[in-house]
Amino acid sequence: MEATPPPLKNTGSKEDSDGGLGWLEALLGEWRSLTRLGAFILITLATAARRHRDNSEVMRPQVLGEIHRCGVRLLPIISFLGVILGVVFVGQTVSLMEQFGAGNFTGTFIVTVFLREMVPMIAGLLVLARVGTASVVELGTARALGEVEALEALGIDPIHYLVVPRVIGFAVAVVSLSAYLILISLGSGYLFAYARGLKASPIEFFTQIAGAMSALDFPLWVLKTLLFGALTGWVICYQGLARAMTLEEVGPATTRTVAVCVVGCLMIDALFITVYLLL
Amino acid sequence: MRTPPSTTVALETRSLGIASSTSLDRISLQAVDWSVDTGELWVVAGAQGAGKTALLETLAGLIPAAAGEVRVFGRRVDASGDDAPGLQETRRRLGLVFDGGGRLFSALSVAENILLPWCYHQNRSHAEALGELEPLIRHLQLESILSRKPTSLSRSWSRRVALARSLVLEPDLLLLDNPLAGLDAVHLRWWRGFLAEALAGHPVLGGEPLTIVATADAVRPYVGLDPRFALVASGHWRILTDIEAVLAATGEEGFRDLTEPRP
Repeated sequence: MEATPPPLKNTGSKEDSDGGLGWLEALLGEWRSLTRLGAFILITLATAARRHRDNSEVMRPQVLGEIHRCGVRLLPIISFLGVILGVVFVGQTVSLMEQFGAGNFTGTFIVTVFLREMVPMIAGLLVLARVGTASVVELGTARALGEVEALEALGIDPIHYLVVPRVIGFAVAVVSLSAYLILISLGSGYLFAYARGLKASPIEFFTQIAGAMSALDFPLWVLKTLLFGALTGWVICYQGLARAMTLEEVGPATTRTVAVCVVGCLMIDALFITVYLLL
Repeated sequence: MRTPPSTTVALETRSLGIASSTSLDRISLQAVDWSVDTGELWVVAGAQGAGKTALLETLAGLIPAAAGEVRVFGRRVDASGDDAPGLQETRRRLGLVFDGGGRLFSALSVAENILLPWCYHQNRSHAEALGELEPLIRHLQLESILSRKPTSLSRSWSRRVALARSLVLEPDLLLLDNPLAGLDAVHLRWWRGFLAEALAGHPVLGGEPLTIVATADAVRPYVGLDPRFALVASGHWRILTDIEAVLAATGEEGFRDLTEPRP
Protein backbone atom coordinates (compact mmCIF):
# COMPACT_ATOMS: atom_id res chain seq x y z
CA MET A 1 0.00 0.00 0.00
CA GLU A 2 1.28 3.39 -0.89
CA ALA A 3 2.22 5.51 2.11
CA THR A 4 0.49 8.82 2.50
CA PRO A 5 3.02 11.61 2.12
CA PRO A 6 3.43 13.82 5.19
CA PRO A 7 1.79 17.23 4.93
CA LEU A 8 4.11 19.91 3.62
CA LYS A 9 5.21 22.49 6.11
CA ASN A 10 3.53 25.82 5.55
CA THR A 11 6.51 28.09 5.81
CA GLY A 12 4.35 31.15 5.36
CA SER A 13 2.13 30.48 8.37
CA LYS A 14 4.71 31.37 10.99
CA GLU A 15 4.09 35.07 10.83
CA ASP A 16 0.33 34.60 10.85
CA SER A 17 0.36 32.36 13.90
CA ASP A 18 2.60 34.50 16.11
CA GLY A 19 0.74 37.71 15.56
CA GLY A 20 3.23 39.27 13.15
CA LEU A 21 6.26 38.98 15.42
CA GLY A 22 8.21 36.85 12.92
CA TRP A 23 10.19 39.88 11.80
CA LEU A 24 11.27 40.50 15.40
CA GLU A 25 12.45 36.92 15.73
CA ALA A 26 14.35 37.25 12.44
CA LEU A 27 15.90 40.51 13.63
CA LEU A 28 17.00 38.91 16.91
CA GLY A 29 18.44 35.99 14.94
CA GLU A 30 20.46 38.39 12.80
CA TRP A 31 21.64 40.24 15.90
CA ARG A 32 22.78 36.97 17.52
CA SER A 33 24.67 36.02 14.32
CA LEU A 34 26.33 39.44 14.32
CA THR A 35 27.45 39.12 17.95
CA ARG A 36 28.82 35.63 17.28
CA LEU A 37 30.74 36.97 14.26
CA GLY A 38 32.02 39.78 16.47
CA ALA A 39 33.20 37.29 19.08
CA PHE A 40 34.87 35.23 16.34
CA ILE A 41 36.70 38.34 15.07
CA LEU A 42 37.92 39.16 18.58
CA ILE A 43 39.14 35.58 19.15
CA THR A 44 41.03 35.70 15.84
CA LEU A 45 42.64 39.04 16.71
CA ALA A 46 43.62 37.75 20.15
CA THR A 47 45.10 34.56 18.67
CA ALA A 48 47.01 36.52 16.01
CA ALA A 49 48.40 38.91 18.63
CA ARG A 50 49.29 36.21 21.15
CA ARG A 51 50.82 33.75 18.71
CA HIS A 52 52.25 35.93 15.94
CA ARG A 53 55.73 34.47 16.44
CA ASP A 54 54.72 30.87 17.12
CA ASN A 55 55.24 27.98 14.71
CA SER A 56 56.74 30.26 12.07
CA GLU A 57 58.09 27.39 9.93
CA VAL A 58 54.52 26.28 9.27
CA MET A 59 52.68 29.56 9.55
CA ARG A 60 54.89 31.67 7.26
CA PRO A 61 54.35 29.42 4.20
CA GLN A 62 50.69 29.21 5.15
CA VAL A 63 50.31 33.03 5.14
CA LEU A 64 52.37 33.41 1.94
CA GLY A 65 50.30 30.69 0.30
CA GLU A 66 47.09 32.54 1.11
CA ILE A 67 48.51 35.83 -0.21
CA HIS A 68 49.51 34.01 -3.40
CA ARG A 69 46.11 32.38 -3.74
CA CYS A 70 44.08 35.54 -3.05
CA GLY A 71 46.39 38.05 -4.67
CA VAL A 72 49.09 36.90 -7.07
CA ARG A 73 46.89 34.37 -8.85
CA LEU A 74 44.28 37.04 -9.52
CA LEU A 75 46.72 39.43 -11.23
CA PRO A 76 45.79 38.38 -14.79
CA ILE A 77 42.05 38.90 -14.30
CA ILE A 78 42.65 42.14 -12.37
CA SER A 79 44.85 43.37 -15.24
CA PHE A 80 42.11 42.58 -17.73
CA LEU A 81 39.49 44.23 -15.54
CA GLY A 82 41.76 47.24 -15.03
CA VAL A 83 42.10 47.82 -18.78
CA ILE A 84 38.35 47.48 -19.30
CA LEU A 85 37.54 49.81 -16.38
CA GLY A 86 40.16 52.27 -17.57
CA VAL A 87 38.62 52.49 -21.03
CA VAL A 88 34.97 52.28 -20.02
CA PHE A 89 35.04 54.52 -16.96
CA VAL A 90 38.21 56.60 -16.65
CA GLY A 91 38.86 57.19 -20.35
CA GLN A 92 35.27 58.08 -21.20
CA THR A 93 34.88 60.28 -18.12
CA VAL A 94 38.04 62.24 -18.92
CA SER A 95 37.07 62.64 -22.57
CA LEU A 96 33.53 63.76 -21.81
CA MET A 97 34.60 66.21 -19.12
CA GLU A 98 37.13 67.71 -21.51
CA GLN A 99 34.45 68.05 -24.20
CA PHE A 100 32.09 69.82 -21.77
CA GLY A 101 34.84 72.13 -20.53
CA ALA A 102 34.90 70.59 -17.06
CA GLY A 103 38.44 69.24 -17.35
CA ASN A 104 39.45 70.97 -14.11
CA PHE A 105 37.11 68.70 -12.15
CA THR A 106 38.38 65.45 -13.65
CA GLY A 107 40.81 64.75 -10.81
CA THR A 108 38.22 65.36 -8.08
CA PHE A 109 35.66 63.19 -9.84
CA ILE A 110 38.05 60.29 -10.41
CA VAL A 111 39.40 60.38 -6.85
CA THR A 112 35.96 60.62 -5.22
CA VAL A 113 34.06 58.11 -7.31
CA PHE A 114 36.66 55.79 -8.76
CA LEU A 115 39.60 55.59 -6.34
CA ARG A 116 37.70 55.84 -3.07
CA GLU A 117 34.50 53.97 -3.88
CA MET A 118 34.60 51.81 -7.00
CA VAL A 119 38.06 50.26 -6.88
CA PRO A 120 38.02 48.84 -3.32
CA MET A 121 34.52 47.43 -3.87
CA ILE A 122 35.40 45.87 -7.24
CA ALA A 123 38.64 44.33 -5.92
CA GLY A 124 36.87 43.06 -2.80
CA LEU A 125 34.04 41.50 -4.76
CA LEU A 126 36.43 39.90 -7.22
CA VAL A 127 38.48 38.30 -4.44
CA LEU A 128 35.27 37.14 -2.77
CA ALA A 129 33.95 35.63 -5.99
CA ARG A 130 37.17 34.00 -7.17
CA VAL A 131 38.72 32.81 -3.90
CA GLY A 132 36.25 33.46 -1.09
CA THR A 133 33.51 31.14 -2.25
CA ALA A 134 36.02 28.34 -2.87
CA SER A 135 37.45 28.90 0.62
CA VAL A 136 34.03 28.52 2.26
CA VAL A 137 33.50 25.25 0.43
CA GLU A 138 36.99 24.08 1.42
CA LEU A 139 36.58 25.01 5.10
CA GLY A 140 32.97 23.83 5.31
CA THR A 141 33.88 20.47 3.80
CA ALA A 142 36.81 20.13 6.21
CA ARG A 143 34.45 20.92 9.09
CA ALA A 144 31.80 18.48 7.87
CA LEU A 145 34.35 15.68 7.42
CA GLY A 146 35.79 16.15 10.92
CA GLU A 147 39.19 17.45 9.74
CA VAL A 148 38.99 20.39 12.15
CA GLU A 149 38.59 18.01 15.10
CA ALA A 150 41.59 16.11 13.73
CA LEU A 151 43.62 19.33 13.87
CA GLU A 152 42.56 19.89 17.47
CA ALA A 153 43.42 16.29 18.36
CA LEU A 154 46.94 17.00 17.08
CA GLY A 155 47.21 20.07 19.30
CA ILE A 156 46.97 22.47 16.35
CA ASP A 157 44.77 25.50 17.01
CA PRO A 158 42.37 25.79 14.02
CA ILE A 159 42.03 29.56 14.54
CA HIS A 160 45.80 29.94 14.39
CA TYR A 161 46.38 27.51 11.52
CA LEU A 162 43.30 28.04 9.33
CA VAL A 163 41.77 31.44 10.12
CA VAL A 164 44.67 33.83 10.80
CA PRO A 165 46.50 33.13 7.47
CA ARG A 166 43.27 33.52 5.51
CA VAL A 167 42.35 36.84 7.12
CA ILE A 168 45.87 38.17 6.49
CA GLY A 169 45.84 36.79 2.93
CA PHE A 170 42.51 38.38 2.06
CA ALA A 171 43.41 41.73 3.67
CA VAL A 172 46.79 42.00 1.94
CA ALA A 173 45.31 40.81 -1.36
CA VAL A 174 42.47 43.35 -1.46
CA VAL A 175 44.82 46.25 -0.60
CA SER A 176 47.43 45.20 -3.17
CA LEU A 177 44.96 44.34 -5.92
CA SER A 178 43.12 47.64 -5.40
CA ALA A 179 46.37 49.58 -5.78
CA TYR A 180 47.27 47.57 -8.88
CA LEU A 181 43.78 48.05 -10.33
CA ILE A 182 44.10 51.82 -9.91
CA LEU A 183 47.46 51.90 -11.74
CA ILE A 184 46.24 49.78 -14.64
CA SER A 185 42.90 51.52 -15.06
CA LEU A 186 44.33 55.04 -14.82
CA GLY A 187 47.03 54.13 -17.33
CA SER A 188 44.66 52.58 -19.82
CA GLY A 189 42.10 55.34 -19.19
CA TYR A 190 44.66 58.00 -20.00
CA LEU A 191 45.68 56.21 -23.21
CA PHE A 192 42.03 55.97 -24.28
CA ALA A 193 41.40 59.64 -23.51
CA TYR A 194 44.65 60.64 -25.25
CA ALA A 195 43.56 58.72 -28.35
CA ARG A 196 40.25 60.63 -28.19
CA GLY A 197 42.05 63.97 -28.25
CA LEU A 198 43.08 64.72 -24.64
CA LYS A 199 45.74 67.44 -24.64
CA ALA A 200 47.24 66.85 -21.17
CA SER A 201 50.53 65.00 -20.88
CA PRO A 202 50.72 61.92 -18.62
CA ILE A 203 52.49 63.99 -15.95
CA GLU A 204 49.77 66.65 -16.03
CA PHE A 205 47.06 64.00 -15.92
CA PHE A 206 48.48 62.15 -12.91
CA THR A 207 49.42 65.42 -11.16
CA GLN A 208 45.82 66.58 -11.46
CA ILE A 209 44.58 63.36 -9.87
CA ALA A 210 47.20 63.49 -7.12
CA GLY A 211 46.30 67.10 -6.47
CA ALA A 212 42.67 66.16 -5.90
CA MET A 213 43.67 63.86 -3.04
CA SER A 214 43.84 65.06 0.54
CA ALA A 215 46.52 64.09 3.06
CA LEU A 216 44.16 61.68 4.78
CA ASP A 217 43.12 59.99 1.57
CA PHE A 218 45.97 57.51 1.51
CA PRO A 219 45.70 56.15 5.11
CA LEU A 220 41.91 56.06 4.94
CA TRP A 221 42.00 54.28 1.60
CA VAL A 222 44.45 51.67 2.92
CA LEU A 223 42.35 51.18 6.05
CA LYS A 224 39.17 50.80 4.04
CA THR A 225 40.56 48.23 1.60
CA LEU A 226 42.24 46.43 4.50
CA LEU A 227 38.89 46.20 6.29
CA PHE A 228 37.14 44.98 3.12
CA GLY A 229 39.66 42.15 2.82
CA ALA A 230 39.84 41.26 6.50
CA LEU A 231 36.05 41.25 6.83
CA THR A 232 35.79 38.94 3.82
CA GLY A 233 38.33 36.60 5.41
CA TRP A 234 36.54 36.63 8.77
CA VAL A 235 33.10 36.00 7.29
CA ILE A 236 34.44 33.16 5.13
CA CYS A 237 36.11 31.44 8.08
CA TYR A 238 33.16 32.06 10.38
CA GLN A 239 30.66 30.60 7.92
CA GLY A 240 32.91 27.66 7.10
CA LEU A 241 34.26 26.77 10.52
CA ALA A 242 32.47 28.30 13.46
CA ARG A 243 29.73 25.71 13.86
CA ALA A 244 29.19 22.02 13.26
CA MET A 245 28.20 21.45 9.66
CA THR A 246 27.01 18.68 7.38
CA LEU A 247 28.01 18.44 3.74
CA GLU A 248 24.48 19.55 2.72
CA GLU A 249 24.95 22.80 4.61
CA VAL A 250 28.14 23.80 2.77
CA GLY A 251 26.24 25.19 -0.27
CA PRO A 252 23.87 27.41 1.74
CA ALA A 253 26.83 28.58 3.87
CA THR A 254 28.59 29.70 0.67
CA THR A 255 25.68 31.79 -0.58
CA ARG A 256 25.19 33.22 2.92
CA THR A 257 28.86 34.22 2.95
CA VAL A 258 28.50 36.20 -0.29
CA ALA A 259 25.43 38.03 1.03
CA VAL A 260 27.04 38.85 4.41
CA CYS A 261 30.29 40.02 2.79
CA VAL A 262 28.50 42.33 0.34
CA VAL A 263 26.34 43.83 3.09
CA GLY A 264 29.35 44.12 5.41
CA CYS A 265 31.48 45.88 2.79
CA LEU A 266 28.62 48.28 1.98
CA MET A 267 28.32 49.09 5.69
CA ILE A 268 32.06 49.78 5.91
CA ASP A 269 31.72 51.93 2.79
CA ALA A 270 28.89 53.92 4.39
CA LEU A 271 31.01 54.40 7.50
CA PHE A 272 33.88 55.77 5.45
CA ILE A 273 31.61 58.08 3.45
CA THR A 274 30.54 59.53 6.80
CA VAL A 275 34.18 59.98 7.79
CA TYR A 276 34.99 61.69 4.46
CA LEU A 277 32.01 64.01 4.88
CA LEU A 278 33.08 64.95 8.40
CA LEU A 279 36.68 65.67 7.41
CA MET B 1 63.03 10.16 22.18
CA ARG B 2 59.73 9.94 24.04
CA THR B 3 59.64 10.98 27.70
CA PRO B 4 58.92 7.89 29.81
CA PRO B 5 55.54 8.09 31.56
CA SER B 6 55.99 9.40 35.07
CA THR B 7 53.22 7.32 36.60
CA THR B 8 52.00 3.77 36.15
CA VAL B 9 48.44 4.95 35.57
CA ALA B 10 48.17 6.30 32.06
CA LEU B 11 44.46 7.03 32.02
CA GLU B 12 41.88 7.27 34.74
CA THR B 13 38.21 8.18 34.66
CA ARG B 14 35.86 8.72 37.58
CA SER B 15 32.07 8.63 37.18
CA LEU B 16 32.62 9.85 33.66
CA GLY B 17 29.52 10.67 31.63
CA ILE B 18 29.96 10.76 27.86
CA ALA B 19 27.94 13.17 25.75
CA SER B 20 26.97 12.12 22.25
CA SER B 21 29.29 13.34 19.47
CA THR B 22 26.33 14.59 17.47
CA SER B 23 24.38 16.20 20.33
CA LEU B 24 26.12 17.32 23.49
CA ASP B 25 22.78 17.37 25.33
CA ARG B 26 22.38 13.60 24.99
CA ILE B 27 24.29 11.21 27.26
CA SER B 28 25.53 8.19 25.33
CA LEU B 29 27.45 6.50 28.15
CA GLN B 30 27.49 6.99 31.89
CA ALA B 31 29.36 6.03 35.05
CA VAL B 32 32.63 5.13 33.36
CA ASP B 33 35.05 4.27 36.17
CA TRP B 34 38.21 3.04 34.58
CA SER B 35 41.94 2.88 35.08
CA VAL B 36 44.44 2.09 32.32
CA ASP B 37 48.00 1.28 33.34
CA THR B 38 50.97 2.17 31.15
CA GLY B 39 51.84 -0.49 28.59
CA GLU B 40 48.37 -2.02 28.54
CA LEU B 41 46.18 -2.71 25.53
CA TRP B 42 42.50 -2.13 26.18
CA VAL B 43 39.74 -3.00 23.73
CA VAL B 44 36.49 -1.11 24.24
CA ALA B 45 33.91 -3.14 22.38
CA GLY B 46 30.36 -2.23 21.52
CA ALA B 47 27.92 -2.01 18.65
CA GLN B 48 27.89 0.96 16.30
CA GLY B 49 26.31 3.98 17.98
CA ALA B 50 27.08 2.70 21.50
CA GLY B 51 29.24 5.75 22.23
CA LYS B 52 32.75 4.40 21.62
CA THR B 53 33.86 7.28 19.38
CA ALA B 54 32.39 9.84 21.79
CA LEU B 55 34.30 8.12 24.61
CA LEU B 56 37.61 8.51 22.75
CA GLU B 57 36.82 12.12 21.80
CA THR B 58 36.06 12.88 25.44
CA LEU B 59 39.30 11.26 26.57
CA ALA B 60 41.16 13.35 23.99
CA GLY B 61 39.46 16.52 25.26
CA LEU B 62 37.64 17.17 21.98
CA ILE B 63 34.17 17.11 23.52
CA PRO B 64 33.44 18.08 27.11
CA ALA B 65 32.60 15.38 29.64
CA ALA B 66 28.93 15.34 30.60
CA ALA B 67 29.91 14.36 34.15
CA GLY B 68 32.89 13.15 36.16
CA GLU B 69 36.53 13.60 35.27
CA VAL B 70 39.33 12.28 33.04
CA ARG B 71 42.96 12.16 34.08
CA VAL B 72 45.78 11.46 31.65
CA PHE B 73 49.08 10.70 33.37
CA GLY B 74 47.63 12.14 36.55
CA ARG B 75 46.46 15.41 35.05
CA ARG B 76 42.87 16.39 34.33
CA VAL B 77 42.31 16.94 30.63
CA ASP B 78 38.62 17.78 30.87
CA ALA B 79 39.29 21.08 32.66
CA SER B 80 37.57 24.01 31.04
CA GLY B 81 39.74 26.52 29.23
CA ASP B 82 42.56 25.50 26.95
CA ASP B 83 44.95 27.89 28.63
CA ALA B 84 45.28 25.86 31.82
CA PRO B 85 49.04 25.44 32.29
CA GLY B 86 50.34 22.18 30.90
CA LEU B 87 46.94 21.06 29.66
CA GLN B 88 47.90 21.22 25.99
CA GLU B 89 51.18 19.54 26.84
CA THR B 90 49.35 16.65 28.52
CA ARG B 91 46.93 16.37 25.62
CA ARG B 92 49.90 16.12 23.29
CA ARG B 93 51.04 12.97 25.06
CA LEU B 94 47.86 11.43 23.79
CA GLY B 95 47.41 10.43 20.13
CA LEU B 96 43.99 9.86 18.58
CA VAL B 97 43.45 8.00 15.30
CA PHE B 98 39.91 8.48 14.04
CA ASP B 99 37.84 5.72 12.54
CA GLY B 100 37.33 5.06 8.83
CA GLY B 101 39.90 6.94 6.78
CA GLY B 102 41.32 8.70 9.86
CA ARG B 103 40.05 12.17 8.86
CA LEU B 104 43.13 13.11 6.88
CA PHE B 105 43.42 16.70 5.67
CA SER B 106 42.13 16.41 2.14
CA ALA B 107 43.83 19.60 0.91
CA LEU B 108 47.29 18.24 1.84
CA SER B 109 49.36 15.41 0.42
CA VAL B 110 50.11 12.28 2.43
CA ALA B 111 53.57 13.63 3.31
CA GLU B 112 52.15 16.99 4.42
CA ASN B 113 49.51 15.22 6.49
CA ILE B 114 52.13 13.18 8.32
CA LEU B 115 54.66 15.96 8.81
CA LEU B 116 52.31 18.85 9.68
CA PRO B 117 51.92 18.19 13.44
CA TRP B 118 55.66 17.62 13.88
CA CYS B 119 56.62 20.75 11.92
CA TYR B 120 53.99 22.79 13.77
CA HIS B 121 55.04 21.78 17.27
CA GLN B 122 58.79 21.56 16.63
CA ASN B 123 58.80 24.69 14.45
CA ARG B 124 60.95 22.96 11.86
CA SER B 125 60.78 22.86 8.08
CA HIS B 126 59.20 20.19 5.91
CA ALA B 127 62.63 19.05 4.68
CA GLU B 128 63.97 18.69 8.22
CA ALA B 129 60.86 16.76 9.24
CA LEU B 130 61.20 14.41 6.29
CA GLY B 131 64.78 13.60 7.28
CA GLU B 132 63.90 13.15 10.94
CA LEU B 133 60.78 11.06 10.43
CA GLU B 134 61.99 8.95 7.52
CA PRO B 135 62.52 5.81 9.70
CA LEU B 136 58.95 5.98 10.99
CA ILE B 137 57.54 6.53 7.50
CA ARG B 138 59.54 3.58 6.18
CA HIS B 139 58.50 1.42 9.12
CA LEU B 140 54.87 2.11 8.33
CA GLN B 141 55.59 1.36 4.63
CA LEU B 142 54.28 4.73 3.49
CA GLU B 143 57.27 5.96 1.47
CA SER B 144 55.73 5.08 -1.91
CA ILE B 145 52.52 7.08 -1.35
CA LEU B 146 53.94 10.27 0.17
CA SER B 147 53.13 12.46 -2.81
CA ARG B 148 49.57 11.22 -3.20
CA LYS B 149 46.44 13.00 -2.02
CA PRO B 150 44.35 11.29 0.67
CA THR B 151 41.35 11.08 -1.65
CA SER B 152 43.29 8.72 -3.93
CA LEU B 153 43.99 6.25 -1.10
CA SER B 154 41.98 3.28 0.04
CA ARG B 155 40.50 3.48 3.51
CA SER B 156 43.08 1.01 4.85
CA TRP B 157 46.02 3.11 3.66
CA SER B 158 44.36 6.34 4.83
CA ARG B 159 44.04 4.84 8.29
CA ARG B 160 47.70 3.91 8.30
CA VAL B 161 48.64 7.46 7.26
CA ALA B 162 46.46 8.76 10.10
CA LEU B 163 48.35 6.46 12.45
CA ALA B 164 51.67 7.87 11.19
CA ARG B 165 50.34 11.43 11.63
CA SER B 166 49.52 10.63 15.22
CA LEU B 167 52.80 8.81 15.94
CA VAL B 168 55.07 11.66 14.80
CA LEU B 169 54.24 13.47 18.05
CA GLU B 170 55.48 10.40 19.97
CA PRO B 171 52.41 9.96 22.14
CA ASP B 172 52.56 7.86 25.30
CA LEU B 173 48.91 6.93 25.05
CA LEU B 174 47.37 5.98 21.72
CA LEU B 175 43.61 6.04 21.21
CA LEU B 176 42.53 4.07 18.13
CA ASP B 177 38.94 4.25 16.93
CA ASN B 178 38.01 0.89 15.46
CA PRO B 179 41.42 0.38 13.80
CA LEU B 180 40.86 -3.18 12.62
CA ALA B 181 37.43 -2.67 11.06
CA GLY B 182 37.07 -3.36 7.36
CA LEU B 183 40.67 -4.36 6.70
CA ASP B 184 41.73 -7.02 4.23
CA ALA B 185 43.96 -9.87 5.42
CA VAL B 186 47.23 -8.07 4.56
CA HIS B 187 46.36 -4.86 6.38
CA LEU B 188 44.86 -6.78 9.31
CA ARG B 189 48.10 -8.75 9.71
CA TRP B 190 50.12 -5.54 9.53
CA TRP B 191 47.99 -3.80 12.17
CA ARG B 192 48.16 -6.78 14.53
CA GLY B 193 51.93 -6.79 14.08
CA PHE B 194 52.08 -3.06 14.75
CA LEU B 195 50.00 -3.37 17.93
CA ALA B 196 52.26 -6.16 19.19
CA GLU B 197 55.49 -4.21 18.60
CA ALA B 198 54.03 -0.96 19.95
CA LEU B 199 53.10 -2.74 23.16
CA ALA B 200 56.55 -4.30 23.37
CA GLY B 201 58.30 -1.00 22.63
CA HIS B 202 59.89 -0.53 19.22
CA PRO B 203 62.92 1.75 18.61
CA VAL B 204 61.12 3.54 15.76
CA LEU B 205 58.22 4.27 18.10
CA GLY B 206 60.45 5.74 20.78
CA GLY B 207 61.56 2.53 22.48
CA GLU B 208 59.08 2.66 25.36
CA PRO B 209 55.97 0.46 25.35
CA LEU B 210 52.91 2.40 24.23
CA THR B 211 49.64 2.34 26.11
CA ILE B 212 46.83 1.64 23.67
CA VAL B 213 43.07 1.96 23.90
CA ALA B 214 41.26 0.65 20.82
CA THR B 215 37.55 0.57 20.21
CA ALA B 216 36.03 -2.33 18.30
CA ASP B 217 32.73 -3.56 17.03
CA ALA B 218 34.11 -7.12 16.89
CA VAL B 219 36.58 -8.59 19.36
CA ARG B 220 37.95 -11.63 17.52
CA PRO B 221 40.72 -9.74 15.64
CA TYR B 222 42.26 -8.90 19.02
CA VAL B 223 42.52 -12.49 20.21
CA GLY B 224 46.20 -13.31 20.73
CA LEU B 225 47.19 -9.72 21.62
CA ASP B 226 46.21 -10.33 25.24
CA PRO B 227 44.13 -7.20 25.68
CA ARG B 228 41.85 -6.22 28.52
CA PHE B 229 38.25 -5.62 27.59
CA ALA B 230 35.53 -3.15 28.36
CA LEU B 231 32.10 -3.45 26.84
CA VAL B 232 29.64 -0.66 26.18
CA ALA B 233 25.96 -1.25 25.48
CA SER B 234 22.72 0.61 26.18
CA GLY B 235 24.60 3.46 27.81
CA HIS B 236 26.37 1.21 30.32
CA TRP B 237 30.01 0.34 30.87
CA ARG B 238 31.39 -3.04 31.93
CA ILE B 239 34.97 -4.11 32.45
CA LEU B 240 35.72 -7.73 31.70
CA THR B 241 38.88 -9.54 32.66
CA ASP B 242 39.72 -11.39 29.44
CA ILE B 243 38.43 -12.76 26.18
CA GLU B 244 36.75 -15.69 27.95
CA ALA B 245 34.59 -13.27 29.92
CA VAL B 246 33.77 -11.43 26.71
CA LEU B 247 32.77 -14.62 24.99
CA ALA B 248 30.61 -15.53 28.00
CA ALA B 249 28.94 -12.11 27.76
CA THR B 250 28.09 -12.47 24.12
CA GLY B 251 24.92 -14.32 24.97
CA GLU B 252 23.59 -11.10 26.46
CA GLU B 253 21.58 -8.53 24.61
CA GLY B 254 23.79 -5.85 23.10
CA PHE B 255 26.97 -7.92 23.09
CA ARG B 256 25.78 -10.79 20.89
CA ASP B 257 27.26 -9.54 17.64
CA LEU B 258 30.68 -8.58 19.00
CA THR B 259 32.11 -12.04 18.40
CA GLU B 260 30.46 -12.62 15.03
CA PRO B 261 32.85 -12.94 12.11
CA ARG B 262 33.21 -9.84 10.01
CA PRO B 263 31.22 -9.60 6.79
